[in-house]
Amino acid sequence: MTPPIVDLDHVWRVYRTGRVEVPALVDATLRVRPGEFVAIVGPSGSGKTTLMNVVGCLDRPTAGVYAIAGTPVANLGDDDLAALRSRTIGFVFQSFNLLPRTSALENVATPLLYQGVGRRERHTRATAVLERLGLGDRLSHEPSELSGGQQQRVAIARALVTEPALILADEPTGNLDSHSGAEVLALLRALHAAGRTILLITHDPTVAAAAGRQVHIADGRLAA
Amino acid sequence: MNLLELVRLALARLGSSRLRAALTMLGVIIGVASVIALVSIGQGATSGITASLEGLGTNLLTVTPGASRSGLTRGAAGSSTTLTLDDANAIGEIETVGAVAPELTTQSLVVAGSQNTTTTIVGTTDAYLGIRNYSLWQGSFLTDAAVANSLRVAVLGATTADDLGLGADSIGTQISIGGLPFQLVGILQPKGSVGIANQDDLVLVPITAVRHHFVGGDNVRAIDVSVRSADEIPLAEAQLEQTLRARHGLTGAASNDFNIADQAQLLDTVSSITGTLTILLAGIASISLVVGGIGIMNIMLVSVRERTREIGIRKAVGARRGQILLQFLVEAVTLSVLGGIAGILLGVLVSAGIANAAGWALVLQPATLALAVGFSALVGVVFGVWPARQAAVLDPIAALRYE
Repeated sequence: MTPPIVDLDHVWRVYRTGRVEVPALVDATLRVRPGEFVAIVGPSGSGKTTLMNVVGCLDRPTAGVYAIAGTPVANLGDDDLAALRSRTIGFVFQSFNLLPRTSALENVATPLLYQGVGRRERHTRATAVLERLGLGDRLSHEPSELSGGQQQRVAIARALVTEPALILADEPTGNLDSHSGAEVLALLRALHAAGRTILLITHDPTVAAAAGRQVHIADGRLAA
Repeated sequence: MNLLELVRLALARLGSSRLRAALTMLGVIIGVASVIALVSIGQGATSGITASLEGLGTNLLTVTPGASRSGLTRGAAGSSTTLTLDDANAIGEIETVGAVAPELTTQSLVVAGSQNTTTTIVGTTDAYLGIRNYSLWQGSFLTDAAVANSLRVAVLGATTADDLGLGADSIGTQISIGGLPFQLVGILQPKGSVGIANQDDLVLVPITAVRHHFVGGDNVRAIDVSVRSADEIPLAEAQLEQTLRARHGLTGAASNDFNIADQAQLLDTVSSITGTLTILLAGIASISLVVGGIGIMNIMLVSVRERTREIGIRKAVGARRGQILLQFLVEAVTLSVLGGIAGILLGVLVSAGIANAAGWALVLQPATLALAVGFSALVGVVFGVWPARQAAVLDPIAALRYE
């Protein structure tokens, strides 16, 4: 049987500021199976971002075991985590996080650059993904020349271009008007329908409703 | 991710802030340009001085009388009258000596028509022309017969001829030297100056004529000796000394009553001085290259700070530390190498301009240019590595949250 894409097993993340220990993630256990669309819902300060950092391999758990697509992240160095992110995770951020003064095409092609993919293939693959998301006529536009909705679609294209095991979307509609937000959610649903595994993190229950399964988070604790 | 990709990335980045890139490069440009210009000026000056020293004569040794002594008082060098024409003839017998020309000089007024000038009258022989590297412009030089018969014939230096308003059509005319009529038989090609001594302001006449009409006695002021080959100069010098000491009856510890000046020695001294100056100038110029490198480091540090978020994004999408490090390092090196190339162009232009103005040949050694590019690349690496490391070790979470 294929392993779960996300496998959090009694994971803690504790921050230390001076002598004070702040547990941001408390005994979190979560499994996301291939092809699932899961939403993590919780108010700000509930530990959502910490969860996303751990799941996204930007951070390591203080305790517990986390494996992504069958690979345990314990004992991995920074560069191993970077390689793991490159292969298995596509990020979609609230504030898009596109490279400024860089064309949509180059933005989408950037993850492939760090995988060592040649220039021509990078451009072919990036163009294909952008065209699939309806941005075929925006290839040479820079982020500042695109609307918020378009920027987020470019960001989703960048997340998709490496064919990752998991799309990790952190408040993807947070900076968008309701119309663009609805479009982005529709796009995520369409990706899910096409077989993608998606973990969506949001404070907004109506956004979370787009997902197939919702997991609530409060004070660092997960509850189904 | 190969080097070409990184250079392309760096160029795109630098292209998006051209003014900043240009100003950053300016430090390296000025540094490299001044190194190249100063080294080139130093080498040009050296070759110019060397050429004019070599113009003094080929394998030239000059024998002059030593200081005279009256009691305990030592007179000025050259004041004694110990060298004679017979000394010159004896030197001519030495096997390593190619040619000998005695010189007997005096100052005198020279008149041609309504023009006059006071200049050096050099009494010498036909060997003088070859030994001192002069060449004739017009007419003929002093002949053996003219010297043997102490004929009143004269050959003018280019400057003297100019001062007197004499040209090609004046050959054969009469001029007056010290009140005596002389026939003008030739005019020399200009040779230029060594230091403040103008080698073209003189009148050459048979040494016998000077002795009969102006100076008297048997002594000479100097003996110019051309050694057969450069390798034999030290040997010739020793033989010369031996011959003259024997002729002057100097034995044991008695000091020489003559001096032998070696042109090669002078050449060595001058080259070593100019060589030291060149190194000094290049050293000063390379300080500005270091300052340029600090400018690059400064801008790269600012750039890393400004682009913290970009670095966070790149790390989130899978960039490893080494890749970020390399990206920023290549950016710094690209800046410094582009600056270096621009500096070379500027330096070559400046060197060419100065060489043109000073009238010496433009000396540019490929090694200097290669060294300049290599050194500017090194500056990029040395001053780029720290900012690049700063970028590489950024925590992606903090970097992504950075506003």
